[in-house]
Amino acid sequence: MSPILPPKQALRNWRLYFFLLPSLSLVAIFSYFPAASAIYHSFFDWQGGETKQFIGWQNFRRAFGDRVLWDSFLTVGFLILFNVFKMIPSIAMAVLIHRLKSDRWQYFYRVLLVVPMIVPHLVTLFIWKFFFDPNLGVLNRVLDATGAKRVLVWLDRHILGWNVFLGDAPIGWLSDPNLILPALFLWGFPWIGAVGVLIYLAGLQSIGQEVYEAAELDGVGPFGKFFYIELPLILTQVRLSLVLLIIGTLQGYGLMLLLLGDAGGPGGRGMVPGLWMYNRAFIAGEFGYACALGMILFVFILGLTTLNNRYVRVDK
Amino acid sequence: MSIRADSVNARGQRDWPMHVVIWAFIVVELFPIYMMLQVSFKDNSAFIENPWLPTNPARWIWANWVFGLKLIGPYIANTIFVAVSGTAGTLVCALLGAYFFARYRMPFGRVLWALFMVLMMLPTIANLVPLFSLLKNLSLLNTLWALILVGMAGAQAFNLFVLRNFIEDIPKDLFEAAEMDGANHLAQLRHVVVPMSGSILGTLAILAFLGKWNEFLLPLIVLRDKDLFTLGVGLIYLDGEYVKQWGQIMAAYVIASVPLIVIFLFCMRLFVRGLSQGAIKG
Repeated sequence: MSPILPPKQALRNWRLYFFLLPSLSLVAIFSYFPAASAIYHSFFDWQGGETKQFIGWQNFRRAFGDRVLWDSFLTVGFLILFNVFKMIPSIAMAVLIHRLKSDRWQYFYRVLLVVPMIVPHLVTLFIWKFFFDPNLGVLNRVLDATGAKRVLVWLDRHILGWNVFLGDAPIGWLSDPNLILPALFLWGFPWIGAVGVLIYLAGLQSIGQEVYEAAELDGVGPFGKFFYIELPLILTQVRLSLVLLIIGTLQGYGLMLLLLGDAGGPGGRGMVPGLWMYNRAFIAGEFGYACALGMILFVFILGLTTLNNRYVRVDK
Repeated sequence: MSIRADSVNARGQRDWPMHVVIWAFIVVELFPIYMMLQVSFKDNSAFIENPWLPTNPARWIWANWVFGLKLIGPYIANTIFVAVSGTAGTLVCALLGAYFFARYRMPFGRVLWALFMVLMMLPTIANLVPLFSLLKNLSLLNTLWALILVGMAGAQAFNLFVLRNFIEDIPKDLFEAAEMDGANHLAQLRHVVVPMSGSILGTLAILAFLGKWNEFLLPLIVLRDKDLFTLGVGLIYLDGEYVKQWGQIMAAYVIASVPLIVIFLFCMRLFVRGLSQGAIKG
């Protein structure tokens, strides 16, 4: 870090401040102002128009008694668990690709993994929605063709008792309240994120061939190699993506909005906190309450971020 | 040397189980894309009759593609406008700002830097509702400018962060030499920084472009006019149609991917690297 420029020189370079003006004004208007406005309006009864009424903490008190909000936190908790589980294939994929001897194959696989990124996220989302379609959908056809459906029907009749997998009716993945969470779990199978694989690969890059050879001489098996050599090296990346994933899942609601609609699908089982905020603001017109919900979520996420900064060191 | 080569060879041959596993994953991963492509040539009855395999090319229904293009072409044009101007604007602003932070340690520089970096940490979710009413007051609702400006603002922190680090690594002598020749700061930026930062700007541009292409929440609440729809809203609108001709919809999906495919083909390396770096942003 070089020292701060002495005032005399700084004065001579005063025009430099103009360089920052575009960025600063953009951020002030479109990031800081809305944030301040969100705090301010969370104390108001506000329908989005000119008139508003100060009501103190009433929005927050209402939120604490809001069943939908707490149920949505529960749902998002499940989604976080799912998403953490869904990190495993990406890690496995990165390790497998890294262990290949041939650089050419490594590069080839990397390119193949990036290919799904050329399809817009929304398109992927809608293709999956199409897969879930009860009559035409691919998922039900796969289950029928492989006989997996019979297993599900048997499981349902004898163990689960959900009454959702019936032998003679197509499975309504997105229309049955009990199936919403399982469907969200299946969503995106086999859960390989190109971006994740690429960062893990970057982390693995520092392991030289000698390390593997030495490990092999010592008789370390494939799993031993993973836990003693590979995992420690990508731990930073794994932790970082874990944190980002948790924060992202907590804020995210685009998937739920498009897959299930603004009410969170049948029985509201797919309702997440962000979607509830969206719903209150743009469906019910309760902007003030939506601001309060946003603030609650914001504080929640900020707390997690602080915890993460304290306990998870990220090397840039 | 030869012993080493032998052992590598022997290990190379033992790689085949890993290849099998990787291929299994990749095949499943690419399955949705395969379905999209082959269904785009079928009508609903052909799809029900034979969902899995492509039909004979002689029976391909090109009308799906014509229909898809007509349906989604205008949305793509809007999205390209938003993505290109948004990306260019983001990079120009961020480059100017990064130069400010990297060239000298100006008074208040630290505070101003913190103002930007805090934004990377803060969740943006609480902003959405006030942002909507702000855009309404600025009469930017139902315009593409709203998307461009909000996108530019949101991308500043990350791009400033990357570009500042990059500019700081440029040897100071280059700037001083340019200053000797009478170049002011703008000229230094243009003749010293820009020529050196081609690949980093390319990477950032791809990331910004991808982000714009995938955006749908903001367009969904900002845009009302069908003429202004970007791809995101357009696809959602398409999904809401009651009776669906899957072939036409899939053809539209493929067409929606074409600009990204073009970028991918021309700058595969930048694309792959950009994605690895973008992950740090999250």
